Amino acid sequence: MIQEEQKNEHREWTELNMGPQHPSTHGVLRLKVKLDGETVKEVEPIIGYLHRNAEKICELDYYCDSLIYFDRMDYVAAMNMEVGYLEAAEKLLNIPPPERAQWIRVIMAELGRIAAHLVWAGAFGLDLGMLSPFFYCFVQREKILRIFTEICGSRQETNYMSIGGVYQDINENIIYMIEEFTKEFPDKLEEIFNAFVKNDIFMSRNKGIGILEPDVAIQYAVTGPMLRASGIEYDVRKAEPYLVYDKLNFDIPVSYKKDNLARFLVRFEEMRQSVRIVKQAIKKIPDGPYFNPKAKKSLMIRLRGEGEVYARTESPKGEFGVYLVGDGGVKPYRVRVRSPSLRNLSVIRHLGKDVLIADLIAISGTIDLVFGEVDR
Amino acid sequence: MDVLTRLAHFFAPLTHYVAYILAYLFESIFLVIFVTIVLVFMIYLFRKYMARVQLRIGPNRVGKFGLLQLMADGLKLAGKESILPKGRDDLPFRIAPLIVFIGLVMSFAILPYGDFYWIGSLTITHSNVSVILLFAAIAIMPIGEILAGVSSRNKYAILGALRGVAKDVSFEVPMMISVIALVMMASARTSEPLNLSDLVSSQIIPFGIPEVIGLLVFFISMIARASYSPFDMGESDSELVSGHSTEYSGMRFGMFYMGLFGSIFLSSMMVSLLYLGGYNGPFSSDAGFVYLLIKTVVLVLIAFTVWLSVPRIRIDRFVNMGWKYLLPISIINLIIAGIITLGVGL
Amino acid sequence: MVEVLEETTGKDGRKVLKVAKENLLALLSDLKDNGFTHLSLITGIDRKSKLEVVYHLHNLTKNEYVVVKTETLDERVPSATGLFKSADWDEREQYDLMGIVFEGHPNLKRLFLPDSWVGHPLRKNYDLSKVQYINMDENGDDYATFDPGDGW
Repeated sequence: MIQEEQKNEHREWTELNMGPQHPSTHGVLRLKVKLDGETVKEVEPIIGYLHRNAEKICELDYYCDSLIYFDRMDYVAAMNMEVGYLEAAEKLLNIPPPERAQWIRVIMAELGRIAAHLVWAGAFGLDLGMLSPFFYCFVQREKILRIFTEICGSRQETNYMSIGGVYQDINENIIYMIEEFTKEFPDKLEEIFNAFVKNDIFMSRNKGIGILEPDVAIQYAVTGPMLRASGIEYDVRKAEPYLVYDKLNFDIPVSYKKDNLARFLVRFEEMRQSVRIVKQAIKKIPDGPYFNPKAKKSLMIRLRGEGEVYARTESPKGEFGVYLVGDGGVKPYRVRVRSPSLRNLSVIRHLGKDVLIADLIAISGTIDLVFGEVDR
Repeated sequence: MDVLTRLAHFFAPLTHYVAYILAYLFESIFLVIFVTIVLVFMIYLFRKYMARVQLRIGPNRVGKFGLLQLMADGLKLAGKESILPKGRDDLPFRIAPLIVFIGLVMSFAILPYGDFYWIGSLTITHSNVSVILLFAAIAIMPIGEILAGVSSRNKYAILGALRGVAKDVSFEVPMMISVIALVMMASARTSEPLNLSDLVSSQIIPFGIPEVIGLLVFFISMIARASYSPFDMGESDSELVSGHSTEYSGMRFGMFYMGLFGSIFLSSMMVSLLYLGGYNGPFSSDAGFVYLLIKTVVLVLIAFTVWLSVPRIRIDRFVNMGWKYLLPISIINLIIAGIITLGVGL
Repeated sequence: MVEVLEETTGKDGRKVLKVAKENLLALLSDLKDNGFTHLSLITGIDRKSKLEVVYHLHNLTKNEYVVVKTETLDERVPSATGLFKSADWDEREQYDLMGIVFEGHPNLKRLFLPDSWVGHPLRKNYDLSKVQYINMDENGDDYATFDPGDGW
């Protein structure tokens, strides 16, 4: 008996470096994994391979120029990142966007959320070894990107919004495109949804795997769909409404199952709610200026801000916060970004204990990592 | 008259033994060419089919309808540098892909193919125990995979090889039990039930109809043997990068790739031979090979569809499934086969 | 009750509590007991003469937000890892980029940059014209070299 214990103590664990070049680490995540056979005993995520220090770059730029670095943080949901930055910047500079611009931003942010979740769903399928749903998701996403292209000429890194409004007004053609999309997308979404959940193997791979207790989630400052899948009904859009979210009617999807499947279901329900928001917003969108005349485009570099502002928005990954400190100059004194993926990733140290390798991959898939945002 | 005898007649001026040796040699070369062509065709078909399922177009640039895409890919693979990792175990690392490929070709050499109009029977091996030979030949391929995994000195490769072993152990017992059931059923009609040709020709109705359970068990086992999704735990690309073939590149990797696609074709052919009546068909017996090919392609497409639509099963669940479900089911199937055989015998 | 130096409301309408470095942990644990269980963000601000550390805390049930500020002259701040697990990576990030040493942190290593990086980039006196390269020697250890040119 004693001998056996000693043997176990001295048993060597295999150390495996998954990544930074690995097919399922969504970019450049490196997981230092200690294995006992197939069982993962310890996970240590090592990040920083995509670090560009966007915070410093933003400090060196004018307020309006920093926007493109936010586009490149969560590069699959650039619109949401822009909303997040402008929430803070406009409060600091006292340039509120006009009503119409706010509605446009809500529409774009929700379309961006759908696009980001579609990317996630497809990549999650690939993690589990499902090849086809990836393409179904990307075909739908491409429709959203086509709308973005029509609006601003760019697919992913849109750089569409700017301080004081949006860069261009949306015309009838774009409204028609968005309406068409919201009409046909729900059916396609159900198709994709069924491709996942009507599969027994998919369900057995996700049910009861990677259980994240709500108190642990709060301890690790997890936000977004992951927190809601742990049974905490919390969404910045409801808790601290920004833009015109208080005038819109939508629900916060919550699941009390806490596992991988819960996170999957919450994200799909979020897409349905986003469609609902877009449908309402496209009807309610008022006429008027789309740009605050206070922030003339040519005068933008002279915008000066003073004070400290922390603005939170709900990005597809979670609570995206921007903390801006101005000292009265034309450049921000300090920019600090609260990236949700970073906090969500840190919880893998807790979730990845005593699971199989296959489950570790599934768990890291449900976290929804985008490395532009984790490393910044 | 089969091809082998005709070749032997062609070389008849030489002595009997030399003629037969030459005949076997030429038919083997013919077979290798045939296997390669079939594989190229299958890979093309698979890529087109996969593209259609995934709302894509698929290969369409090289040649008409992209038919020559595989040629281009093969040339590219042949022209690529085959990188040898530093910590490898040299000899096993080099011969592992060869073992996989030779195992594949050997298995194809043992299968009976039926008649094909004026060409005649394409079968090479005429043995009384070809069923046993066949299962011995397909058991060679995992050896190559395990060798590759262990000799690469790569943790992913070793994990892949370990998974492969665990997988093989858990499905091969039920697979062999369902084959025993077949042999039992065939023994009621023929004196040589271990001869594949006799086993096939004794299927007046395909064995798959009285032995649906056996067919299912065998087909699942064969998909697992070919390590196709959902049973591709061994080379699961999202977990273990590429399993045992992680460190391979160039033509050596190409051999593993051919082994992967070849074994699904081989598996489907075996299922159609053993359970679906093989080259027996409703009309002309000259077209036996065509019947076999049609049955095989249908099975391959079923396997492809499964691959495209399901996620990977977890290794522990698969081992569970093998021992707790497949094994008892295959034993039940054996009992059913026994009852049927007795009934036929009476 | 912990002595709060100053209580103001920020430009964005959030309550800001200024506290001395010595009382920081006591205030944080007080707040944690009052439901502020969600440590959202730790920010270091280089005020040239001193370093400011800002904690954003959040009460999820009551939906309240509070900002705790403290200052340090010697780059040292007590670590909040004992109270909040999310402080772990946040503090490592601030140590990495800002050079704030969190005393009592169990694993205070750089989070993003390589271990052998010289300097802390978010400091105002960080020399951007000096380009650094991280190299690996034969044993696999990193070391930094500098570009003699102008940089960017």
